[in-house]
Amino acid sequence: MGKNLRIKAARAAKDMSQKDLAEAVGVARQTMNAIEKGDYNPSIKLCIAICKALGKTLDELFWEEDENEEQ
Amino acid sequence: MKNNKNSLDEMQREKRNSIGNQMFMLMFYALLIDIGLYGYGVRWLSYPTNVMVIIIVCMSIYLVRIIAVNAYLPPKAQNRRNGVILMITIVFSIVLAITGILLLGESPAETVATTKDNSAIILAIVSVVGLLMALIVMVITKVNNKDEKED
Repeated sequence: MGKNLRIKAARAAKDMSQKDLAEAVGVARQTMNAIEKGDYNPSIKLCIAICKALGKTLDELFWEEDENEEQ
Repeated sequence: MKNNKNSLDEMQREKRNSIGNQMFMLMFYALLIDIGLYGYGVRWLSYPTNVMVIIIVCMSIYLVRIIAVNAYLPPKAQNRRNGVILMITIVFSIVLAITGILLLGESPAETVATTKDNSAIILAIVSVVGLLMALIVMVITKVNNKDEKED
């Protein structure tokens, strides 16, 4: 699992720090950091909370296109 | 998923459970080895201090590890001044120990000399080492937090 730069970008667009986002979704800043770095795989509940806090959909933040998938 | 409860978040819970399982297994095998050694006549400490030391060591490792991975305090409690609380705990422990010695009227050195049992001293050393380790881990955690700060 690679870095999730889309969360970072969405967070930056909303001018939120990791701490702000972590407080908004009720987790520790280190947990948010681990999610962005790809070190932790969040539950679907936490993914939804992050999407709601950033005003994005699950697809926009978490969907990974399969390279071998037929277009 | 606003976390209203004053509890650990999902990553913290996952890490704490994983470390807890490992430390439980460590304690189980350490106690098993101790029983085996006892059967062979090796008595490194008198019963029940040997069991106490094994449990305290495993608990200390567990505590240090969960503090190190930031799975000890819930997210809402992380803004409190933990260093001050830890220092108060250390000072309070020392004051309590001195008061106990003064009230009982026996110094630990005398007790050790008369009973030839150094279990109390070993337990005291283990506790002091544990508290110092907690202090060191807290400092390391603070440094790590500064290092990984983003933005």
